[in-house]
Amino acid sequence: MTPALDISGLTKRFGDNLAVDAIDLSVPQGSFFGLVGQNGAGKTTTLSMAVGLLRPDGGSARIFGADVWSDPEQAKAAVGVLPDGLAMPERLTGREALTFLGLLRGLSKDVVARRAGELLSVLELDDAEKTLVIEYSTGMRKKIGLATALLHAPRLLVLDEPFEAVDPVSAATIKTILRGFVAGGGSIVLSSHVMALVEQLCDRVAVIDKGRVAAVGTLDEVRGERSLEDTFVELVGDQDDGIKELSWLSR
Amino acid sequence: MAVALTAPSTVPWTMAQMKVAMLRHAFHGRRAQTAGTGAALGALFAAGTIYLAFVDTDLLAAGYAVWLLGWMLGPVFMGGGDETLRPEYFALLGLPPRRLAAGLLVAAFVGVAPLVSLCALLGLLVVGVRLGVANALVAVPAIVLQLAVFVLLSKVSVALVGLALRTRLGAIASGLLNGAILAALGQIWVFFWAFGETGVPDAVWYLPSGWGLLAVRGDWWALAALAALVLLLQGAWAALLTRRVGATRPSARSRRPITAATANGAIVAKELRTWSRDLVRNHQLMFALSYGVCFAASPLILGWDGMLPYAGPIFIVMAAAMASNLYGTDGTALWLTLMTPGASDVRGRQLAWLSAQAPVAVLLTVGFTAITGGPWPLILALLAALLGGAAGLVPLISVYGLIPGTDPHRRAGNPLRTSEDDGGLTGLAYVALALVLVTGAPAALVAIWYGWAGVAVGVVTGVLCYWGFGLLAARRLRSHGPELLQTMRTGRKPETTVASRFAQLPKGRQTLAWYCFGLGAIPLVPQGIVAAVFVANGMLRHTWFLATYMPPGLRYPVAAAFMVLGVAMYATGVWIVKPGKS
Repeated sequence: MTPALDISGLTKRFGDNLAVDAIDLSVPQGSFFGLVGQNGAGKTTTLSMAVGLLRPDGGSARIFGADVWSDPEQAKAAVGVLPDGLAMPERLTGREALTFLGLLRGLSKDVVARRAGELLSVLELDDAEKTLVIEYSTGMRKKIGLATALLHAPRLLVLDEPFEAVDPVSAATIKTILRGFVAGGGSIVLSSHVMALVEQLCDRVAVIDKGRVAAVGTLDEVRGERSLEDTFVELVGDQDDGIKELSWLSR
Repeated sequence: MAVALTAPSTVPWTMAQMKVAMLRHAFHGRRAQTAGTGAALGALFAAGTIYLAFVDTDLLAAGYAVWLLGWMLGPVFMGGGDETLRPEYFALLGLPPRRLAAGLLVAAFVGVAPLVSLCALLGLLVVGVRLGVANALVAVPAIVLQLAVFVLLSKVSVALVGLALRTRLGAIASGLLNGAILAALGQIWVFFWAFGETGVPDAVWYLPSGWGLLAVRGDWWALAALAALVLLLQGAWAALLTRRVGATRPSARSRRPITAATANGAIVAKELRTWSRDLVRNHQLMFALSYGVCFAASPLILGWDGMLPYAGPIFIVMAAAMASNLYGTDGTALWLTLMTPGASDVRGRQLAWLSAQAPVAVLLTVGFTAITGGPWPLILALLAALLGGAAGLVPLISVYGLIPGTDPHRRAGNPLRTSEDDGGLTGLAYVALALVLVTGAPAALVAIWYGWAGVAVGVVTGVLCYWGFGLLAARRLRSHGPELLQTMRTGRKPETTVASRFAQLPKGRQTLAWYCFGLGAIPLVPQGIVAAVFVANGMLRHTWFLATYMPPGLRYPVAAAFMVLGVAMYATGVWIVKPGKS
């Protein structure tokens, strides 16, 4: 079966810094794939290249077999993306932003209106009917971003830190939605710093360190008998067992 | 360091060091080039000002008045001035407002613009030395105080406009006012003529910009007045800083639902909503409108209505310049465009730009031309050609010359600050002004020579520009979209993997080519062609047109020399970037 997302040899260099060093990853259809790594490990850069938001220096990315760079229309229609920290159409309300994006995706007016209403109510954004996106809180921005990723019912979701700044109630709702999506045959790639979350949701994990894949496989293959957090710290932590203390603070 | 910060003198010093460090990081690549261009231009103006100190103190006083206006109005139009150190950075330190303002003021003296102004103010020293020892000694504090007045007036006026931009009414009012002021400056000859002034009005001596010169000339009270003004402005700025909290908040009221049913319609709907809801865009639109009307109407003071019909065309050109960073102001929202390659973003934006500006332009043009009774062919030809030209060039310029904007939700307390690169914004606006004017030229020429045929030409070139430039912009967006997004994410041009020939040139030659293309127009058009026209019409001693100040025998040669210089600069630029023999 064609992988939902197939990354091969993706490389990106910013100046002297090799941010992503020939990463290969394959996300099978129907899998819930967690991408973990330290700040600056290259997760966001990898995901940006995988969906066509950043041009790689080398390598390729295919979404259900369609190359993101040579066949962007087919590839991008099949994926929903939640990027980290990018702007939205800021002077629109949540409903207007969804309507706008739905129409851009080529959905019919009625379908857009129905889905936008459902998404806003499930994500509890419908109270803020008159609020422009620019006035949203950080958590609300994540939720409207997730709504735009889901709107056109893609078969692959690429989510960069989807739970950051989201309150526990909304997080529970989002987890339910995502689990349902995977149960229905959808595929998800998600990046996170929160190991517990990845253990809870994902069936496959890749640990990224300094732009390379340090470990990849099913959750159990990667963590073995230990917790994912312990495995992660061992894989990417400093050699000198670097949990340091601040002597002047912990007196 | 926390302990050291409590000493009062440390705050300004620390902030000044911080500013130096930040400028060192910022001035890389293209920003260094814009800063270099700005510094070169500024040095030229400063040299000119010092020269005035040797020639005529009346002119010097007028020169300083121009510097003052530049400090006050420049930042309001172009990106909100220098905000390398934002007051928000220090919000958590709990500094009292006056000390914060004092620190920021000291830091505000660090930079290219204050340095250039300081050079220009050396004219005071020149005047002082020529008058005597005491005068020369007074010149030193006068220079410092005068520079402080420039910097502080700039900060206070930006803060005031920033406050106004919190409300729609304020945005509209300040747009109207700024447009009127700038138009009046552009048409200053009308006022001179009307008041029978021949030479420099005495008023320039009594503007705050003239006080330093008064002090040096022997009116010692002016020095005290300068010092008092500095204290006053410092207090006002400190008060304004405390009011600068949070970003603009549009009112929350019922919204009209989007009724569009197609992708293109959705883009138009989104853009039109942004035009009406973004107070900065409200401000820009009102500014362009006010500028066009005031510029064209000011000769009415002399009883001449011949310029009135041009209000519409001037409005179009100004509105296009204001929108020249269309994609940049939306920031990283470009990612949505990249994710939906099927929809044509450029066409939607063009339509939206037209539907926001064209009705105003048409009403202005038809109304005013009806009042004056013509010349209909020329005006209608210009209207059609410029509307199409502007609607085509706005997206094209903004994708080719993109100045990375600050994402709307990350902008700080200064709503005018849509980008960190205000020099780049200014440059882009001028490029748009010039290019849009060029798109009107063919139709205008045909209309002047053959009358109504010009209108047909205007419609044809307008449609062609709209279609062709839009197509080019869409292509560029498609081929360079990820690079544009990366530019906006990082605020810097990425090292592109889609190599252009220009990028392969050695750094020195690139810079030289930038200077040639960027500055070639100045000697060629205003100092060359326009000055020659003025000389031919006997309009002497005209604002900054050097040839009009020359003795009779030198006027045409100077204008001609400037034209040759301009052409030579363009030729050099072309020669540098033209394909090699290999």
